[in-house]
Amino acid sequence: MIDPLIEDEKLMEETAQGDEYAFELLVKRHQSRILNLIFRFIGNRTQAGDLAQEVFIRVWQAAPRYKPQAKFTTWIYRVATNLCLNELKSSSRRKLLFSEIPADAGRTPNEEGTVTPSAEDILLAEERSRQISHTLQNLPENQRMALILKRYDNLSYHEIANIMDCSVSSVESLLVRAKRNLQEKLIFFEK
Amino acid sequence: MKCHQIQNRLSAFQDGELKDREQEKISEHLEKCSACRKRYEEMEKVWQDLGNLKEISPQPGFYGQLSNKIKEINDPRLLTRFRWLFQLFSPSWATAALLIGGVLMGTFLGNTLAKKELLPFQQNRTYSQAAAEVFSLKAFDPVPPGTLGERYLRMASYGEGGHR
Repeated sequence: MIDPLIEDEKLMEETAQGDEYAFELLVKRHQSRILNLIFRFIGNRTQAGDLAQEVFIRVWQAAPRYKPQAKFTTWIYRVATNLCLNELKSSSRRKLLFSEIPADAGRTPNEEGTVTPSAEDILLAEERSRQISHTLQNLPENQRMALILKRYDNLSYHEIANIMDCSVSSVESLLVRAKRNLQEKLIFFEK
Repeated sequence: MKCHQIQNRLSAFQDGELKDREQEKISEHLEKCSACRKRYEEMEKVWQDLGNLKEISPQPGFYGQLSNKIKEINDPRLLTRFRWLFQLFSPSWATAALLIGGVLMGTFLGNTLAKKELLPFQQNRTYSQAAAEVFSLKAFDPVPPGTLGERYLRMASYGEGGHR
């Protein structure tokens, strides 16, 4: 039995030797953050699920060749990021990408009761959420990815630079432009 | 530092990516300058708004589906014999090697069998048998030889010749 507190790199080693339990632990540890990273970037839940599975298939396939030069999370984020960017390049699916992130996308049945009680407040919050997701989806790809990695995964500029294969100053500039774009577009919505 | 310099660094300031000294400088500036402070507050508001996008959870059968997909990919019927090839080389090179091997083997066997006349349809065929085989294929023509249609067409073509 593998210790659940064991580090990712060790789990990858076990996975490379065909240990399915190690792989399952690895998947369960990272599935949520990978799924949400892709979902926020792509904006489509079903497609995000498929791509998240594709990420883990690549992890399984790459396990025998994996060398822990960087943190495992950085490596898996890089796999996911490349997959997302490649997905966008295949223009046949592009139309799907601008399908809405539903305002209630993350709401589970249990949460229904905890949503703001006033109907007007709910509508306003949903509208705001829709505006934000729409604005996010319309940011240029690199700005969007840098912003998601910073805002939702709280990664440092250095880590984002490693994942996106660019310099730290590029990350800073991507984030400045992303924030400025978001601000301008959201102010436009408010008007 | 001037306002436009400060505003260019606000993003990194918000992300806590500046050195302590610069972080303090900007902090002090924001206390004094209402224009920069307003800019920063707007940035903060957008940052907070982004937090309104809730998380989604993986479907309950996420790992099960994934495991099935991996089993399909690693189908032992296909890979057991050649697993070593896929471990030695990258999957694309190993696939290319298998394909080339298959084509070479096919060519070799085809040539060997043809030379030794092992194929049943190639044994002891005379010219007349081959001609009969070709003639029998005429049965699939739109107007097969010997039918009324074929005679009519032949007569019609003689008629056209006569007019000329």
